[in-house]
Amino acid sequence: MQKLTEAQLNELEKDLNAIRDEVLADLGERDARYIRKVIRLHRSLEVAGRVMMPFGFIPPVFVAATTALGLAKIIENMEIGHNVMHGQYDWMNDPALHSQTYEWDTVCTGDSWRRTHNYEHHTYTNVIGKDRDYGYAVLRLSDDVKWHPGHSLQFINYVLLSVFFQWGVGVHELETERLRRREIRWKDKLPFLKEFARKGGRQAFKDYVFFPLLTFPVAPIVLAGNVGANLIRNLWSSTVIFCGHFTQDAETFTEAECENESKGHWYLRQLTGSSNFTGGKLVHLLSGHLSYQIEHHVFPDLPAHRYPEISPRVQEICARYGIHYNTGSFAGQYGTVIKRILKYSLPDGVRSRLEAQPA
Amino acid sequence: MLSKLENSTTLRWLGKQLFNREDPAAFFDPLLAPLDPMLVRQYVPARVERIEAETADTKTFTLKPAARWGGFRAGQHVTVSIDIDGRRHNRTFSLSCSPLRWQKEGLVTLTIKRLPGGLVTNWMHDHLEPGAVIGLGETFGEFLIPGQPEPVLFIAGGSGITPILSQLETMAAEQYHAPVTLLYFVRTQADIIAAQRLHTLRQGWPAFSLSILATETGAAPRFLNDDHLDAVPGLRARRCYLCGPGGLMELATDLLHQRGIADDHIHCTFFAAPKAALAGDSLGGEVRFSRSDVTVTAEGEVSLLDIAEAASLSPRYGCRMGICHQCSCTKTSGTVINRLTGKTSGPGEEKIQLCVSVPKGPVNLEL
Repeated sequence: MQKLTEAQLNELEKDLNAIRDEVLADLGERDARYIRKVIRLHRSLEVAGRVMMPFGFIPPVFVAATTALGLAKIIENMEIGHNVMHGQYDWMNDPALHSQTYEWDTVCTGDSWRRTHNYEHHTYTNVIGKDRDYGYAVLRLSDDVKWHPGHSLQFINYVLLSVFFQWGVGVHELETERLRRREIRWKDKLPFLKEFARKGGRQAFKDYVFFPLLTFPVAPIVLAGNVGANLIRNLWSSTVIFCGHFTQDAETFTEAECENESKGHWYLRQLTGSSNFTGGKLVHLLSGHLSYQIEHHVFPDLPAHRYPEISPRVQEICARYGIHYNTGSFAGQYGTVIKRILKYSLPDGVRSRLEAQPA
Repeated sequence: MLSKLENSTTLRWLGKQLFNREDPAAFFDPLLAPLDPMLVRQYVPARVERIEAETADTKTFTLKPAARWGGFRAGQHVTVSIDIDGRRHNRTFSLSCSPLRWQKEGLVTLTIKRLPGGLVTNWMHDHLEPGAVIGLGETFGEFLIPGQPEPVLFIAGGSGITPILSQLETMAAEQYHAPVTLLYFVRTQADIIAAQRLHTLRQGWPAFSLSILATETGAAPRFLNDDHLDAVPGLRARRCYLCGPGGLMELATDLLHQRGIADDHIHCTFFAAPKAALAGDSLGGEVRFSRSDVTVTAEGEVSLLDIAEAASLSPRYGCRMGICHQCSCTKTSGTVINRLTGKTSGPGEEKIQLCVSVPKGPVNLEL
């Protein structure tokens, strides 16, 4: 990791705090209007998708309905749910947009997400052994994890994880790797499993039982459309999230490096452990502004639509301290993620020989 | 149709499964509100019908709540929620009309004085227009008129007249026949709220006697004194209702005690303006955790999370540095200072982060 002196870290903290304070002081009507507009868009897409779906026996309508519902789920999960649960809109004091009570349209319960994502991942970002989001305990993405033959097939695991992403995220807190190592017992996980079953059951009931049965004669079409919508959301959100921390230049950290760390050091880790990708307004909306993953990690509780506005200032600070601001096109960044997954599926000997060859 | 999602147990359960929320009917609010804000289900919407000036700094707002609103009893308060610059503010005001008005015409009134420096009352005076829709919440309060007629004395000060107006109009409509006296203290004649309504009441209701006393018209201020109470016939037997500024309430309570009137015959409701924040004010205060039924006193710059833990509570928390919002919790009343921003909160109900909030005076938390 980029080394900064204690004094520089303190300065970095002050510089970033200044941006944060400025945005906080400016929060108001504009931000409320933005999130309410996005929520209106979500409701419209969801209602449109559900209403059109039974008429999916007409192929173009099937495509439109599945796309509308898929987009609804993407927007609800990424720009509304994820951001609301970060507390980005707590200041509005609207009970429907409160971080601690919001429940989103996916298998993972809001409570489980708040523990594993908001707390663990955002506090211990990219600290190997502490941030379980680094590879999701399924993938080997750095040489901090010892290679074993199972890793050679990890690309298949990656594809499966993407296809069933909402279930993967839902079951994340089960900590199967620690269960396997017998560090924790199944009994400890019973309360979690109960919650998981309740929410997973609720989501499956809605999309795969209730709405198909409601329009019984065309149940297979509605079922297929709902499966399609969930699949669209799963593939997109998994891809966006993988681009956030697993690109080529996103750094990892050791527990020792982060013991008793200062706020300045935490900021530095967020800046160097995250990666952005560029795109148009629609891409930013559909990614929940995780296309600005760096800004999100530095300021997780500022309304996400502010990230594009503060990004030039964050870049200026990075340049001033000689910190690499990791960004690139969506395709470029995603390419390096795929390469990382493939590279670390190989034994270290093979990988280092490949790396030694000029590309 | 949406009310079925609220009232039928089965449909409500189904709605929760489909929309992932405890109030499934409100799922459609974002689509319905732009069509007609009165269709909102998250709170009880109320349309502003009329706004009338009572004095230079007091206005009466006539509201038409949605039909499903639960109504109120004379002398009760209601929580009002208003969005100002993107933030929802909840404040409590007395209803200043009789419940009969709601039952007959579907209308209610709030009579609100500008508080110096008060965000919500000033906004209501300056920006709220007829046709706007605001939110109503629960009605509450134990400042209630006697079930059986008995002699009553009301002592009101300034805008403290508002719940008493509701009570007087209700009693007059029932032709309450036991004697009722109102001592109404105002600063000057120009500060009398609802003068016309009070005079109309006196004309049509023989049991009612009214004295309006201006405290600042003479050379020296004239507050409540023994002469005022001596002039009330049969004072010892009266049930007393006090509403007004803290000074008047304390004085009245003392004088009534001296005359042997017991506490169970004295009913008070407070209308204290929040104290303005002073630089260098000492931090800490009495913290009440309402769900756990624990009250502790804290001193100095200690966060509410530390205070809760020191009191052997275990609130949910995460980063302890204001990032993750795991410890967010509802503050029902009281003022806190955000350690990160140095900002002072409002006095009303809102969500705060325990780990970076330091109490400034008494605070009530839903924890």
